[in-house]
Amino acid sequence: MANLETSLKECLSSIDGATAAALVDYTSGMALGTLGGGKEFNLEVAAAGNTDVVRSKLRTMEHLGLKEEIEDILITLSNQYHLIRLLKGRGGNGLFLYLVLDSNRANLAMARHQMRRIESELEV
Amino acid sequence: MTGVTTAWTAHETTSDALGALAREGATGALSGERGIVYLASGRVVHVESAFTPGLGALLTQSGALAPDGWWEAVDGGGTRHRVGDRLVDSGRLAAGALEVCHLGALFDAAYFVLARDSRAHRFRSGAVHWLGAVRSVPVDSVVRESRRRRDLLERIWPDPALDTVPLTRVPDADPADLPARRGRTLTQVDGVRTAADIAAALGCHTYHTLVELRRLAAAGLVTAAPPPPAPAPPGPGAPPVAWDDPDAALLRRLRDALEAL
Repeated sequence: MANLETSLKECLSSIDGATAAALVDYTSGMALGTLGGGKEFNLEVAAAGNTDVVRSKLRTMEHLGLKEEIEDILITLSNQYHLIRLLKGRGGNGLFLYLVLDSNRANLAMARHQMRRIESELEV
Repeated sequence: MTGVTTAWTAHETTSDALGALAREGATGALSGERGIVYLASGRVVHVESAFTPGLGALLTQSGALAPDGWWEAVDGGGTRHRVGDRLVDSGRLAAGALEVCHLGALFDAAYFVLARDSRAHRFRSGAVHWLGAVRSVPVDSVVRESRRRRDLLERIWPDPALDTVPLTRVPDADPADLPARRGRTLTQVDGVRTAADIAAALGCHTYHTLVELRRLAAAGLVTAAPPPPAPAPPGPGAPPVAWDDPDAALLRRLRDALEAL
């Protein structure tokens, strides 16, 4: 059974092209755990900023009256993919997994599939 | 063994006292006005506050764990400080899920202990929490995150009194089109309950509830309830004292016994 650290490690080791991962609480914007990143890529800042992305999308969906749930959000940069996967824990204390991928090495469909598996080990 | 540490007493705030204890690599429990921070080798391993739901309440109310399962683990592992291990070893909870929930509860309680950052009351050297080791966090991270959370609430609606007083709805305000969670929070506001009561009723973190309540306050839908029509003091303005230091109960019993002599 995976703990938080091994789940994040699994993100980086089992997903091709993954360079950084974080588990983030999207009410407070706090990263509960981070792995990878570094001086040139501050994951804490990324966590707080992407919290705004998630919140904004959720708010827009509420305004539009969409009753669906967000499964994931993909942001495509010139050389990176940023993948945000919302965890659907029963507690509803919203968390998301945030993954940074090198787009030259990544297989998007496979990455989404792997994240779904890792999510199931962290759900509360 | 470094003996009884006293350097923390020189500090005016709980966060500075924690910093001093961290530098010494201390193990024990630091009690403040609104909760207790448990340290192991200078790192934060648990935080408890009467203003936030505990790990047991979060796990059982979310349905992640049956109440029986929780109490079985507490009975079986509590005295040996291994409740967390017991939950995971028995297969009731994934290790990752326990860590995520534990960290959530830790930072939730830490916000209350550190937001006002008054003087720490006392340090029980060597005290260990019955939950046992789940994860530890550096003192600096806990202090930094608590400040960040306080600033976030300030930006939404700068009235920290709302964190602890009974709340009421503003009459005639129109609560149209609220997001689901904010709407749920509003239905719990009844003129009597505090943010902590509302969080307990909803089974979610108090900080998350505070975010929604401050947004409701900013939208003019919620405000502090007027104080009840004068049942004699303890003076107005004082926040309701909900925290019972475990030893306060003992002291009270001792006082009663002495008075009975």
